[in-house]
Amino acid sequence: MIPKAQDARAIPAAIGIGMRTPHFDEIIATRPAIGWLEVHAENYLGGGPAPVRLDTIGQEYPLSLHGVGLSLGSAEGLADDHLRRLRTLIARTEPFLVSEHLSWSITGDAYLNDLLPLPYTEESLDIVVGNVAKAQAALGRRLLVENPASYLCYRHSTMPEPDFLGELVRRSGCGLLCDVNNIFVTCNNLDLNAEAYLEALPAAAVGEIHIAGHSRVMRGSQSLLIDDHGSPVAPPVWDLYRRAIERFGLVPSLVEWDNNLPPLAQLLDEAQKARAALATVDSDACAA
Amino acid sequence: MLALHEVQAAFRRAILTGDTDTFCALVATDGLAPEERLGVYRNNVFASLTAALRETFPAVCRLVDERFFAYAAHEFICRHPPESAVLAEYGGRFPDFLAGFAPCRELVYLADVARLEWLMNVAANAAHANPIAAMTLADVVAEDAPRLTLQLHPSFGFVASRWPIDRIWRANRTEAAAEATIDLAAGGVWLEVSRADANIIMRVLDSATFTFRSAVQRGETLARATEVVLVADPAFDLCRALPALFLDGAIIAVSLAQSHAGSEIRQ
Repeated sequence: MIPKAQDARAIPAAIGIGMRTPHFDEIIATRPAIGWLEVHAENYLGGGPAPVRLDTIGQEYPLSLHGVGLSLGSAEGLADDHLRRLRTLIARTEPFLVSEHLSWSITGDAYLNDLLPLPYTEESLDIVVGNVAKAQAALGRRLLVENPASYLCYRHSTMPEPDFLGELVRRSGCGLLCDVNNIFVTCNNLDLNAEAYLEALPAAAVGEIHIAGHSRVMRGSQSLLIDDHGSPVAPPVWDLYRRAIERFGLVPSLVEWDNNLPPLAQLLDEAQKARAALATVDSDACAA
Repeated sequence: MLALHEVQAAFRRAILTGDTDTFCALVATDGLAPEERLGVYRNNVFASLTAALRETFPAVCRLVDERFFAYAAHEFICRHPPESAVLAEYGGRFPDFLAGFAPCRELVYLADVARLEWLMNVAANAAHANPIAAMTLADVVAEDAPRLTLQLHPSFGFVASRWPIDRIWRANRTEAAAEATIDLAAGGVWLEVSRADANIIMRVLDSATFTFRSAVQRGETLARATEVVLVADPAFDLCRALPALFLDGAIIAVSLAQSHAGSEIRQ
């Protein structure tokens, strides 16, 4: 059974930014004109002042909860305690979007704090579909599932990632969070075509877009792109973003910046660039 | 073909034990070696978890320097990876790990400083709870008083050390805070950590108060907690110690043990 869908398209398409703790006071004091804010759910699952701060922010801006620790790809299933705490946070913050990743982090009760890659097989698909269904039922919300940034692929994968995501959408009823920077990084690292990847996603399922910076490291004569969210968005990722908007429509889009966190003003500049990109695609593009 | 749970177990072994053969055999070898590709994930895992530990144990990190801290954190992460995704709750076993970690054996106070920082982290992330007033005890009839148990606010924690860890912590809490010299022979300290609003409070207690409050926190009855203290400190005065607990906002519930086990008076 699919829980009642929270239709992201009912939200006015607008540009949001990832809200990180060092920017909190400035956001509250200056209330920048930004459409919405997204936070990492795991930073607010404990006690202390953090959830109270989130209440304050939630009174000023629509919130999106972005999970990084549910481990939808774990063969051993989902952690009930984590789901329970997430459900409590959702009830408290009433986010307009709830998202997670196509990846895994937990095996043998160890949480490996990274978005680890799955082999794209029928077995993995069954497991992820089951986990997404369980999460959606437990949380009472439709999840948006994000394509990961990948640095390797498995020999025994039998389907391309966008096809896997398409089947996941069809069988679980989840939506997609399309991270265009992740598409760019993955396609560079695994020698795939980013435009073709974008074309292969089920457009109607995309309820949010992420845009972020990456870095390049050299390994011998080969370069790897690292999805480190630590720099401005790269020009080819802006191009891919424009293609994504053309294909998916004006879905809520988020600028993420996590490492080497810049002053808030620079992050807001990136959001302004995203607005400008929207405007070139569609003259009716939103103002935040 | 390995089942997914076997793939994930192999990945874990590759990251945490360095046994990469099984996993690397699963990885397509276009261009870069599987080991190089795996290395990106390994780096993400250790860098992020080390950063989480550094955030929870900043004074420990200053005491040993960044490089040694990263080395100790790496060894700790391999042996005790987190069990949940809430990283603010990761590191409770780090103090005991440091106590047994041979390369830092000469820093005899290090594990106790880590225990103090862990209590500060627990206090910072403890759930909100409303303290109750001493007036609550007005409902208790005299003969029930020895069977009272008091529930401490979840932000409260206690650590005793043979070393002046409060001064050591203060001298290492920021780069700037430098107390010239700390005399390790100055003696031990009994500390209480708690939170008021968003502020973490560290207080030095006398040994009797420390013993009493620790016993109360363990769930001992008032009679038992008092007995424990009186063994070491015959001058202990419950009539002052008990109201002080309430005045400090330390009590969030009282109940009666044994015959009315768990029956709550007021929360």
